[in-house]
Parts: sequence; structure tokens; C-alpha cells
Amino acid sequence: MNLMLILLVSFIAILLFLLVWALRGSGKPAKLEDISSSFGEPGRVHIDYLRQIRQALSHEDQEYLARVAANSLQKRVRRERRRIALAYLSALRQDFERLLQTARIIAVLSPQVDAAQELERLRLTVNFHWRYRIIWASLWAGYLPLPQLNDLSNLMSGFSAQLGAAIKELGERAAAVGEMVSAADRRRIHPV
Amino acid sequence: MGGLDESVKWAWGAGFALQVFICGLLLSRRHFRTLPTFTAFVMANVFQATLLYLIYAQFGLASRTALALAWLSEACILLLRSLATMEILRLALRPYPGIWALGWRLLTVTFCTVILVAVIEAGRNFRWAIALTDRGFHLAFAFALIACLVLIRNYSIPVEPTYKALLGGFCFYSCTMVIANAVGYVLTLRGAPNFESFWQLLTIVTYAIVQGTWAVALWKAAPEHEKGPALLPASIYGQLSPQINDRLGMLNARLSQFWKPEVSRQ
Repeated sequence: MNLMLILLVSFIAILLFLLVWALRGSGKPAKLEDISSSFGEPGRVHIDYLRQIRQALSHEDQEYLARVAANSLQKRVRRERRRIALAYLSALRQDFERLLQTARIIAVLSPQVDAAQELERLRLTVNFHWRYRIIWASLWAGYLPLPQLNDLSNLMSGFSAQLGAAIKELGERAAAVGEMVSAADRRRIHPV
Repeated sequence: MGGLDESVKWAWGAGFALQVFICGLLLSRRHFRTLPTFTAFVMANVFQATLLYLIYAQFGLASRTALALAWLSEACILLLRSLATMEILRLALRPYPGIWALGWRLLTVTFCTVILVAVIEAGRNFRWAIALTDRGFHLAFAFALIACLVLIRNYSIPVEPTYKALLGGFCFYSCTMVIANAVGYVLTLRGAPNFESFWQLLTIVTYAIVQGTWAVALWKAAPEHEKGPALLPASIYGQLSPQINDRLGMLNARLSQFWKPEVSRQ
């Protein structure tokens, strides 16, 4: 019985924490312009920098250094590589967050929302965040070997251009819709 | 009313005065136009307090008639409370029909799931069925409302401070009721004396605090109905949302390659 009470009190404490968190947020009204401004600047997608990241983390560089450089220099380079890997991970997360923000704005401004799509996005977000945190911690602690990241970069480079183009297209389409809706609004015609 | 402690009587009186004051605010500040169900709920509260005072004076606190009428009136109040909450949420989400459709479904599913568990639990313990159902209702109510508020926060939807205060008050009171009922249940099973006064005082004082918060929030004039944002055509969501989910899925898949060196080395 005591265990039940403790569980119930803990659950209520979590609910109260969530209540305060939810009520403290001061959301600003979503606007159509927010969609295009999210991706407005060319080259803002971090994944576009993969080529440089791949160069910085290349296996050949590491082998070369192992042959010619002193131990202290190798250590310093390893530190730097780790720092770059962590920065790259953070950048990936920023790209993810930006896409997520666009999806939210579109959902808020839509007259109909598909619950299955929203649930799928929630699942993807939870998956991404726990993976991100574990990978970040593993890299930071030196547990995850850097060459894997190098290989990952190789895999991603082809994907980079594709994603960047798709994101730009989304932004352009959203902006076009925004202009169309604004024009309709000015004429007091409901767009839906 | 002779069976009540002096402190409980005072708290009850103060709570009643606050209820009447809130009624006055709802009418004088014209909140009743935008919040008709909430106004009905507060008026029903005043009516219930008056009714219970007369019933307890006539039949005594411990009589079966008083108990039956008290729970019956409480059931009506809880129903009105749920409707008032839906009304406030609908007002907050009116400019965003897509999210409102998502919100009320989430509210219904979470509430029904938790209340079903509570009713099954109450069915197993017939002696405490009413108290357990009451606790279950408050738990389901708080859980469903917080789920909906988290959804609103997730989509960064602005909510009027007045509505936030009303919803937060409902939720805080329900959370306190769950704790009070659970502690009361355990103490009764252990045969602890005088827990009833503590339970009454805790619930009455909590509700008085909530009403104080409501009074401050309702002191301002009723929020103006702002024109909502221009909405996108319905087809845009259908086109873009799956594409964005695909992109998010790809980013996820790439991140997961960290765990699979045999794949990444191909």
C-alpha cells in the first residue's frame, strides 16, 4: 500500500512539473512567413558542410599522422577530431530541429491534421533525441571510435545535396502558398 | 454543521465568499458571454455549497441521506467541470482547427483510458468504490488536461493568461484531490483518528487558493477574440507533412549508423 502511495505521489509530482512547464511557455502565433524564413538563407543547412567535415575526419590523415607526427601532436589532433565530431553532431541536431519546427508550423496552420503523421513525427523525434544523446556522450567520453563517424560522413555526403534541395523546395513552396493566402486574405476570401 | 472543526468552518465560509465573488466577476466583467459553461459551473458550485449547508444542518454530517445527496451533487459538479474545461480549451484552440481536432481526441482518449482503469479498480473494492472513482476521475482529468496542455506547448500555440489560470487551477486542484484521497484512504485503513478534518481542510484551502487565482485572472475584462492566422489550404499539409517525416526518418537512419559499423564500412 505504501508503495502504491509513493508511486501515486511521484506520478502527481511529474504531472505538476509538466503542468508548470506547459503553462510557462509563451508561444508566439505561427505565421506563414516563418516557414520560408526557416530555410530562407542558402547554405544554412548544416549537412551541406559534410565534405569539409569528412576531410577533417579522414582516415588517411590519421594514418599519415601516425607515421610522421609525435605522440603529443597525435593526441592534440585526436582531441580536435573529437571536437569536430561533436560539433557536427550538434549541427545535425539543428537541421533536425529546423525541419521539426517547419512541420509544426504547417500543422498549426492547417485546417486538418493527420494524427498518424503527428504520432510518427513524435516517434521519430524521441528516437532521434535518445540516439543523439547516447552518441554524443559516447563520443565525448571517447568510447565511440571516430573512424565510424568518418564512414558515416561518407554515407551522408550523397544524401546531403538531396536533402538540401528538398528543404529549399519545401521553403519555396511554403513561401508561394503564403503569398497566395495573403493575397486571398487581402481580398477577404478564405483560402480553404 | 456541528461535526466540523472551527478551522474547517472558517475555510468553508471563506471559500463560499470567494465563489460568490467570482460569480460577481463573471457577470460584471461580462466573462459569461465567452465562458457560459464555466459561469454555470461556478454558479453550480455556489448552489451546491448552499444545498449542502442546508442538508448537513437538517440531517447531520454522517447521515446516509446527506452522503448520498453530497455525492450526487458532486457528480453534477464534476460533469460541469469537464464541460467547462472543454469550453476553455476550445476557445484557446479555436483559431487552429487542426490542432483542436487533435487536442480533443487526445483529451478523450487519455481521459477514457485512465478513468476505465480507475473504475475497474473501484469495482474490485466495493466498500470504497465511490472514493476510488472520485480519485480516479481527478487523476484522469489531470492527466488528460496536462496531455492537452503539453500538446499546445509543443505546437507553440499562444494561450490567453486568463485561460491559463483557469486550466491551471482545475489541474492543480485535481492533483491535490488525488493526493488527499490517496493519503486519506491509507490513513483510514490504518485507523488513524481525526484524518477527516485534515482532509476537509486540505481540499477546501486548496480550492480557495485556486479560486483566489481565478479571481485575479478574471479581474481583467474578457479577452478580445483576435482574428486567427491565415490558414494553409488543406492539401498542403497532406503533401508536405509526409515529405518532412521522410526527411526526419532519413536523419534518424543516418544517426543510427553510428551503432552499425558493419553497415557503415560497406
